[in-house]
Amino acid sequence: MRKTIIRFLLLAVAGLVGIVVASCAQMKTVPGLPSSHPETLAVGQQVNCSECHEDQQKGTMKPFNAFSHTQSFVKNHRFYAASDDRLCSTCHKSSFCNDCHTNKVEMKPSTVYGDRPDREFQHRGNFMTLHKIEGKLDPASCYRCHGRANNERCIACHR
Amino acid sequence: MKKTCCTILCAASLFTLPTGVMAADVTVDSRTILGIGQSDIEGAKKETLLPATQFLGLTAAKLGDGNLSLHFYGWGRADLAGNSYNDDKTAGNLTYGYLQYRLKQANTTIRAGRLFIHEGVVNEHIDGISSRTDLPLGLGLSAFGGATVHATNIVGENSDGRGDVVSGGRVNYRYKGLLEVGLSGVFESAAPTLVTHVTRDYRRVGGDVWITPLQKVDIIGHSSYNPETKQFAEHSYLLNIKLVPRLVLTGEFNQQHDQSYIYPWTSFSAAVLNPNDKSSSAGLSLLHEVNKNLEVVADYKKYTREFGTASRFGGEVRVNYKDNSIRGGIGYHYLNAGQGFAVGANPTASYHELRCYVMRDTKGYFAAIDVLGDFFKNSIYEESRAWEATTSLGYHISPALAFSGDLSYGRNPQFIEEAKALLRLTYNMTHKVTGGKK
Repeated sequence: MRKTIIRFLLLAVAGLVGIVVASCAQMKTVPGLPSSHPETLAVGQQVNCSECHEDQQKGTMKPFNAFSHTQSFVKNHRFYAASDDRLCSTCHKSSFCNDCHTNKVEMKPSTVYGDRPDREFQHRGNFMTLHKIEGKLDPASCYRCHGRANNERCIACHR
Repeated sequence: MKKTCCTILCAASLFTLPTGVMAADVTVDSRTILGIGQSDIEGAKKETLLPATQFLGLTAAKLGDGNLSLHFYGWGRADLAGNSYNDDKTAGNLTYGYLQYRLKQANTTIRAGRLFIHEGVVNEHIDGISSRTDLPLGLGLSAFGGATVHATNIVGENSDGRGDVVSGGRVNYRYKGLLEVGLSGVFESAAPTLVTHVTRDYRRVGGDVWITPLQKVDIIGHSSYNPETKQFAEHSYLLNIKLVPRLVLTGEFNQQHDQSYIYPWTSFSAAVLNPNDKSSSAGLSLLHEVNKNLEVVADYKKYTREFGTASRFGGEVRVNYKDNSIRGGIGYHYLNAGQGFAVGANPTASYHELRCYVMRDTKGYFAAIDVLGDFFKNSIYEESRAWEATTSLGYHISPALAFSGDLSYGRNPQFIEEAKALLRLTYNMTHKVTGGKK
């Protein structure tokens, strides 16, 4: 176990050292994303990146079309955010994600944003009843948000 | 001690902005919500509830040399009458608060403060430092470290069962927009011993992949491994096939080894779980963007557990008109699940779910209606359905300021009748001034 710990610490240190080393002249040739999207997009718009971006594969970027906000993308956005949240952040503030993904919150996102039913928040309606079924179907879907955090009320019953 | 030092250090970092530096872009997002309710539980005294909750976000960009930014978001609640959540009349949390320095090249960022980490199989909330950069030859590197953010209060315990220090990172390689592979890991210091719960140490390593073997096909996913149990914790993969323009077939597969996946979870003690237990799901969905205003999707998913299998199928339609100012959707799903998934002694857990919503947004007013109904094959607590209807009506006082109110009513097995109301004041402002060195 101690070896595993040391490996992780070495990885963290190596990362920091790598960044310092990499910040030399060579880094100026590596392209970067703009800090924000140049065009303002309409609230609630199902963004289709291919409307403006040609699906060319420049540098090491993924094709923009992969990020078009179809219903399928929205439901599976965790796969994309895991490695490309820097692209997400050109349009979305971190708080957009943290409306749902947070460490401690008392009010359901669907209540906070009752005026935005199009955002498809989890736990609409009476999820207290449904969680007794859904939690057995796919417990990992609970864990992602309520596993090690945001679980004050879970622990009251589930010990 | 380490945690305290790290928290103080991170908080202090937010106040290190040089004096005289002006913010070029300041964005403020505020939501003030006054809930209005009455608790009427059989055998208990009726209680009026008036919780006032403030959500506040602030972003100040283009500070200093233009690459520095400050990000803050948090909430606070005060009960004006009754106890709306627990015995505390007030509560609050700093969701994040960090300084970020971002270079124009190579997506290089350094962040310090309270922040979220999303790197491959790692999703963490820390008080600390994170850094990330792309490197020549398609390589990328990130690392983070700091104090674990403790936010959960467990009755009878002095800790939430999580260690005090957390660190990790990710290395990745990308090739010409065709392939990306990454290796990531997280390590947390030893979990403290709890009185009434069993906790385990949290370590996780894993790999992620994204590949486009053909222009119309891409595969994305990850697998993670628990070095404590010496077993894979999760496999999760997604396949997209663009059959023809605007028609996409998506397949997904997820599998978790329950004990290894929830190993550091305080509830459902992992110690009592069978190491061989698995949760699996596999699904297909077909999406058709009929045109810019209409999207249709049909989906099917199968769930497999030790105590049985279940399946869900259905579809959704989404529409929008008049530059997105009118939006709507309708969806239907049916869950076919046996006794293993049922509530209590019910023979099945099957139910139909129907949802529809419509919303309108103009320069003057905005309104929304949202209806959700679940119809159980076998009644739960003698109720055969659960439904809720929510209406929201608001007025744009100015482009930045809006006032709105929600009313909702429903019946369900948990509460028989449930009525809720709230008032909401929303303020979203972006202020741009010439600042910095210019």
